[in-house]
Amino acid sequence: MTAPSLPSARADAALWRPLRATVWITACLAALAVLLLVVTHHRAHAHDPLKSPELAALKQRLLDEPRNEELKQQIRDLDLALRRSHSRLLNFYAFGRWLLLGSLVSFVLSAKAWGKLRARPPAPRLSPDAAERFTRLVRLARLTASTTALCTLIALTAIVVAATSPLPSAATDREKLLARLRGEEPEAPPLPPLAEFAANWPRFLGPSGNAFTPVAPEPLTFDAASGDGLLWKVSLSLPGFNSPIIWGNRVFLSGGDAARRSVAAFDLATGQRVWEQAVTGVPGSPAKAPEIPESTGFAASTMATDGLRVYAIFANGDLAAFTLDGRPVWSKHLGVPQNQYGHANSLAVWEGRVIVQLDQGDADAGLSKLIAFDGASGRVAWQVPRKVPESWASPIVVEAAGRAQIITLAGEFVIAHSAGDGAELWRVQELHGEIAPSPIFAGGFVLAVSPNDKLMAIQPDGLGDVTKTHVAWHADDGIPDVTSPVSNGELVFLVTSYGLLSCFDVSSGKKLWEHECDTDVHATPAVAGNRVYVLGGKGKVVVVEAAREFKELATFDLGEAIFASPAFREGRMVIRTAKSLLCVGTPPASASGGTSP
Amino acid sequence: MRALFPKSLFPALMGLLAACAVASELRFPPPEFETDYTMPGITTPPPRSLAMEYVDTALLVTALGLAAWLVHRRRSRRGLVALSVFSLVYFGFIRTGCICPIGAPQNVALGMFDPGYTIPLTALAFFLVPLVFSLFWGRTFCAAVCPHGALQDLVLIKPVKVPLWIEQGLGIVPFIFLGLGILLAATGTAFIICRYDPFIPLFRMSGSVFGLTLGGIFLAAALFIGRPFCRFLCPYGALLRLGSIVSRKAVRITPDHCTQCRLCEHSCPFGAIREPVKLPVTPNALAPERRRLTWLILALPVLIAVGAWLGSKLSVAAAKVHPTVALAEQFLAGDKAPAPATALPTPETRALGRAAETAPELIAAASEVRRRLGIGGWWFGGWVGLVIGARLISLSLRPNRTDFEPDRGACYACGRCYLACPNERVRLGLITPAEAAALQAHAPVPRPDAKPS
Repeated sequence: MTAPSLPSARADAALWRPLRATVWITACLAALAVLLLVVTHHRAHAHDPLKSPELAALKQRLLDEPRNEELKQQIRDLDLALRRSHSRLLNFYAFGRWLLLGSLVSFVLSAKAWGKLRARPPAPRLSPDAAERFTRLVRLARLTASTTALCTLIALTAIVVAATSPLPSAATDREKLLARLRGEEPEAPPLPPLAEFAANWPRFLGPSGNAFTPVAPEPLTFDAASGDGLLWKVSLSLPGFNSPIIWGNRVFLSGGDAARRSVAAFDLATGQRVWEQAVTGVPGSPAKAPEIPESTGFAASTMATDGLRVYAIFANGDLAAFTLDGRPVWSKHLGVPQNQYGHANSLAVWEGRVIVQLDQGDADAGLSKLIAFDGASGRVAWQVPRKVPESWASPIVVEAAGRAQIITLAGEFVIAHSAGDGAELWRVQELHGEIAPSPIFAGGFVLAVSPNDKLMAIQPDGLGDVTKTHVAWHADDGIPDVTSPVSNGELVFLVTSYGLLSCFDVSSGKKLWEHECDTDVHATPAVAGNRVYVLGGKGKVVVVEAAREFKELATFDLGEAIFASPAFREGRMVIRTAKSLLCVGTPPASASGGTSP
Repeated sequence: MRALFPKSLFPALMGLLAACAVASELRFPPPEFETDYTMPGITTPPPRSLAMEYVDTALLVTALGLAAWLVHRRRSRRGLVALSVFSLVYFGFIRTGCICPIGAPQNVALGMFDPGYTIPLTALAFFLVPLVFSLFWGRTFCAAVCPHGALQDLVLIKPVKVPLWIEQGLGIVPFIFLGLGILLAATGTAFIICRYDPFIPLFRMSGSVFGLTLGGIFLAAALFIGRPFCRFLCPYGALLRLGSIVSRKAVRITPDHCTQCRLCEHSCPFGAIREPVKLPVTPNALAPERRRLTWLILALPVLIAVGAWLGSKLSVAAAKVHPTVALAEQFLAGDKAPAPATALPTPETRALGRAAETAPELIAAASEVRRRLGIGGWWFGGWVGLVIGARLISLSLRPNRTDFEPDRGACYACGRCYLACPNERVRLGLITPAEAAALQAHAPVPRPDAKPS
């Protein structure tokens, strides 16, 4: 701090320039060393000898030719060359480190010395406003501390919000995961009782598969345009020909095209869309959707539910399960079905299993199969091959002759499989053509339609080929080619594509009456109470009495084209038209329901 | 030149260069085909001998005692510089910064919460001894024993003053870092204080690109900002700060009376010297500050509660640092989308293979880690709230100082202010009282680079 004497000042002045030069030289040297190390590191990283593609290729070859001594020598030589290169790299790193350290130490020492020469003695001024300065200082400090605290809280919040993990946080989910990893079967919730199953519309053509419900909706007539007779009507953005299903207060249906497939749920009371889930990320599903004719589309198959989950299948072979509240459970790709019109077989359920009739290709190709999936896990419970060609009929599961049987139609055959393990029980060889109408079970008979050919009643208590022994009767008048028969247990009704409605006695097969509806029909009719509903392709609705004598109850125009069969629950009828979903019924206070037969 | 290059620096420099010979080695795997050569088995380097651990501890205690003597009795800046060089060479480059007290709180935390972990005696000593010294003699560890502080102190060539309000405001960061380090260590998740220590890669002259870059940034900053790591990040410094505030002996700029010339304030590169502040004459002038203080004290429990709640939500994110959780998450992600098999297994695929074999145990262990972090998160969040609240309260207290004096918590006891004080120079006989008076009057001093007449 003392003023330098003249000799020392001269010495300092003499040191000024050399020290300044030293500072700059050592700084440049340090910067050069850093640059060299960084460049070398990047080059070494880009040409990592451990990742030498040549060495990897040679090693890969060695796996195929383990006895190739020449190849081994090549690997040794290349390995040695790489090691030498690596060793040179290490030496260079060591040199760079020493260079950097030496230059940095020299820089710091010379810069300190130079700084001392340049230092100006302080000349602080006394300021009397210390209290005011202190107040200002702590105010700013509080502000900085508050800002730091706020930033910390924001950062913590962002971390909390952004953090996701496949490891479940909830104890129940964790236990489920652990149980799955241990191979334990998760404790499945009990399936709803059969009575509840019967009270809903859990699959194509209802719980019995006969398209029958004991309660008819009111009013008798309704109009889509004016809304008369409708509880609600919502427009649909989901393309698809599948029919709605109902469980509880939810209506489910699927839809899709080449771009996307999805499943949606609507509130039965209000028609409000409750959820919609896209079926995406299905393992193995091809990115490019197959070509499916527009007349069938990607969502012709009707969904099914076991009361715990809903299941949907699409023409690209994707099968998906969701909980009733829309949470994805599992999904599978079954392979793109080889089907000239597109897959249209609807799903069936039985005791927590979902049944898929995957008929495809020619009979000789051996591609067709019947598969039962565990509804909870999606695992295959059983799978049996079927030597049948592609078909479009939906399977039904019936309890008959003391057995749970899955009735299927395809090619020339009516085939019954055991629901427990898929084993074939019996078969009848009486069908012809392209099989689209589904079988039903009524009056103790399995009723099957051979398109444009005949209706037959089969006793379901046989074994093996029962073609000549168990066919009770035939009927060959007014036989449809697309729609399925429907029945109230006493009578069976058929409607052809050109609108001829026929009534048969279930027990004898005797035709009782027929009626020309004067409309083309693509949707299977339905029997509700004492009414038969025929829904025309152009929107014409014909309602006749479900009785031995023909009696027309009403004929009116709905106003929208219909291709799907309706669904019923507690006096309400849900119809999917080409453009919308609507519900026929009366508000709860005035609902009276129709009469039961 | 003798003054510019003290004698002690040359041998220290030589020692430093010699220490740098301990260079790390980049590994290269052996060939993967059979030859006659027998590969030696994998061996684990033996731990440091117990005797050497005692030597380390003895050296630490000796250095701390010497530092305390140099700070409080000898009052020698030059002695402290020499001790800093020794500490940098031995604790820094020779011992490669490990073990050091900065990371020792993590060992202690893990030892307290993990019954399977026995804390090494050296780690315990390195944690406790500097703390105990701080209770008696202030931050003597930071003064000349800590290699991190020594490195930053020795490379400081042109100090730039950081505004005090920035330093005061950012003062909560080391405490938060300490809390996070203890949380992750206590749950066996990671030693992040060591992982993100910027100077360890420099001491080892090797490390990840991130580590070396971080070290380079802090070192470059230390050329112009006094001890940036110590002031704005060091978690152990946060503990020593608390100890130093209540220490028995504090650094005194001069044993004589303060003439309030402000020369000492200018000499401190860390902004640790506080000017005199008197309480207002009228007590009513303090009424707004009292109200603010009351509100802040009332808000403290709220801050703690909010912090604790937020901290409890951190478990998902924090657990990702734990290797078990990371492996479990990788396994579960792969469980949904299995990775394609490769011909040559990698360490990652091997680990995943082991994970697949012991998946239930792995998931259970990962869940347990997350549960522990959930509990620890409450404490960590509460700690953060406490730190924020306490800092705001401390910034609402008005001191009553009559002289220039070092801030007991912020002073690193480096000794720079001793010889800046004219009275101290007079006391040591370096100048006369008349020269001291001239200095206090701020008499112009000729520039060293001025041409001699």
